[in-house]
Amino acid sequence: MTDYSKIQLKLPHLFFFTCASATALIALFFVGFLVYTALPVFQSQGIINFITGTEWNYSKEVYGIGTFIYGTALVTIVTLFIAVPLSLFTAIFLAEYASENVARKVRPMIELLVGIPSVIYGIFGLYVLENIYQDYVNHFLSSTLGFLPLFENVNPNTGSGVLLASTVLSIMILPTVTAISEDSLRSVSRHYREASFAMGATHWETIRRVVLPVASKGILAAITLGTMRAMGETMAIVMLLGTSQRMPSSLLETGYAMTSKILTDIGFYVADEGPRSALFGIAVVLFAIEMVFVGIARSLGGRK
Amino acid sequence: MSFKLTECMMSKKKFNSRNVTCMIFEGISYVAATITVLILILIIGKIAIEAIPSLTPYFLLTPESKTKGFGGGIANAVVGTFLIATISTMLATPFAVGTAIYLKKYSKDGFLVRSFSFMIDVLAGTPSIVLGIFGLMFLVFYTGFFTGGFSLMTGSIALSILILPVIERAAEEALDTVPSDIEEASYALGANKWETISKVTIPYALSGIITGIILSAGRAAGESAVVILTAGYSQFLPEFKVASSEKLVFGIKVYPFQDLVGTLPINIYHAYQFPNLVSPSEGFAAAFVLIVIVMVINVVTRLIVWRHRIG
Repeated sequence: MTDYSKIQLKLPHLFFFTCASATALIALFFVGFLVYTALPVFQSQGIINFITGTEWNYSKEVYGIGTFIYGTALVTIVTLFIAVPLSLFTAIFLAEYASENVARKVRPMIELLVGIPSVIYGIFGLYVLENIYQDYVNHFLSSTLGFLPLFENVNPNTGSGVLLASTVLSIMILPTVTAISEDSLRSVSRHYREASFAMGATHWETIRRVVLPVASKGILAAITLGTMRAMGETMAIVMLLGTSQRMPSSLLETGYAMTSKILTDIGFYVADEGPRSALFGIAVVLFAIEMVFVGIARSLGGRK
Repeated sequence: MSFKLTECMMSKKKFNSRNVTCMIFEGISYVAATITVLILILIIGKIAIEAIPSLTPYFLLTPESKTKGFGGGIANAVVGTFLIATISTMLATPFAVGTAIYLKKYSKDGFLVRSFSFMIDVLAGTPSIVLGIFGLMFLVFYTGFFTGGFSLMTGSIALSILILPVIERAAEEALDTVPSDIEEASYALGANKWETISKVTIPYALSGIITGIILSAGRAAGESAVVILTAGYSQFLPEFKVASSEKLVFGIKVYPFQDLVGTLPINIYHAYQFPNLVSPSEGFAAAFVLIVIVMVINVVTRLIVWRHRIG
C-alpha cells in the first residue's frame, strides 16, 4: 500500500521532469548546433570583421554581414516609426475612450490580423501595395520631400523598397503591440485616474501624465516584442525589400535583410562548408540579437 | 456611452488650449483605431476579391499534379497543411504541457525555473528562418536516412519546435487561473499531489490548455519559412503506402511521413517565385483558403472559451 502510493507520487514527478528536461535539451541542442555549424566562419573571418564587413563574396571567401545588419536595422526602425504611434493610439482608444461594447467588437478584429500568415502579407504587399507605391506614394514622397536624400526616388520602376517592406511589417506587428499595450493601460489602477481627474486634469492630461507613465514598462515590453517579430520576419521581407546587396540611403530604395540572405542562399550552398557556415553565422548573430531583446522584454516584465 | 468626440468640451464647457489639446488627442485615438480596422477590412476584402475568379470547386478539389503546369489546383496543399499542422501539434503538446505542469506544480528551485523559463522565451523569440536552417541541416541532411530528407516528418518535427513554446506559455497561463482554494480543498480531503493535479488542476485548466493547442495549430498551418526548408513541396496528394527504399533506414519508405508534402503557404510563395506560371489570382485564392482555415481554427477556440465561461 505504501509502496503503491509512493510510486503514485514519484512517477508523475519523474514524467513531468523528463518533459521539462527534454524541452530544455532541445533548446540547448538547437543553440549548440547553430553555433557549432557557424564556428568555421567566425574563426576564418573573426567575429568583428564578420559583423562589420560589407563585402560578401563566395568565390573570394570573404563574408561580412554589415550590409544585411544595416538592411534589417533600417527596416525595423522605419517599421517602429509607423507601427508604434498607430498601435499606441489604437490601444489608448480601446482602453480609454471606447465603450465596452465597441471595444468588444474591435478587439477580435485586431486579433484576426495576428492570425494572417506572413506569406499572405507578402503577396498582399507585392501584388496590391507595390503598384500603389510605385505609381503614387513614392512619386508623392519624392516630389514633396525629395530634397532630403531619405526620400529620393532612386528607381521609379519599382515600388519595392524599405518603405513598402516597413509598411507591411508594421501591419504585421500592429496587433501584438496594440494588444499588450492595451493590457498594460487597463491594468493601471482606477484610483490614479480618479485622483488625476479630481485635481482638475482633462482626460488627455490624465492619460499623458498618469496612465502612460504608469503603463510605460508594459508598453516598452510590447514594443520590444514587436521589434523581435519585425526583425525575424522572412517571407514578406524577401518579397518586398528586394535582394540588392548595397546599403540603401533612401527609404524608397531596395536592400537586403539578414533573414532574406539566409533564405535566398541556403538552398544553393547547404552542401558547401564555407558558405554554409557563413549563412549559419548570420543566423547566430540574428539569434544573439533576439536573445538580448528577450532579456530586455523579461526585465520589463512583459512575458508573452 | 455613445460616440463622444467632444468629451473634453462637455466636461468643462470652456474653449481653452487644454481642452483643445484634449480634443485633438481624443480625435487622434479615434482616427488610429479607425485606420487599424480599415486596414483589416481592406486586406481581407482585397484578397477575397482577387481570389474569387480562381476560387472554383475544381481549384479546391484537384491536386496540382492533375492540372497543367503550376498553380491550377490546391487539394494536395490543403490536405498537406492539415496533416503537417495536426502532426506537429501532436508532437509538441506532450512536451509543452508536461513542461508547463513541471514548472508550475513540481519545480521548487527558483534558479532552475528561471533558466527554464528564459530558455522557453528564447525559443519563442527564435526567428522562423533560424529554425528553418536548423531543420534543413540537422533533420534533412544529417538524419535524412531516418526522416526521409525533405518530408512530412521533417517538417512536422521542425514546426513542433516552433510551436512548443507557444503551447507551453498558454498552458502555464491556464494553470495560473486555477484557484488555489480548490487545490487546497483537495489536499484537505486527503488527496495526494498527483490525485490533486490529475483530478482537480488539469480539469480546471483544460479549456485554456486546449485553446493554446488549437491556436498553435493555426500558427503551424500558416508558417512558411520553416516549411519551405524542411518539408519541401509536392504536387501530389499525400498517399498512404509503404515502398522499399535503399536510402532510408530499414530499407522502407513510409508514405506520407517520409515523403515530400505540399502546403498552402508554399503555394502562395510560388505566386512570388514563379510569377509566369502562377497568376496572382491563384496565389490570392490559396491565401484566401489559408485565411479561412486559420479563421475557422480561431472561431473554434473562441467557442471553447465561451462554452467554458457559460459552463
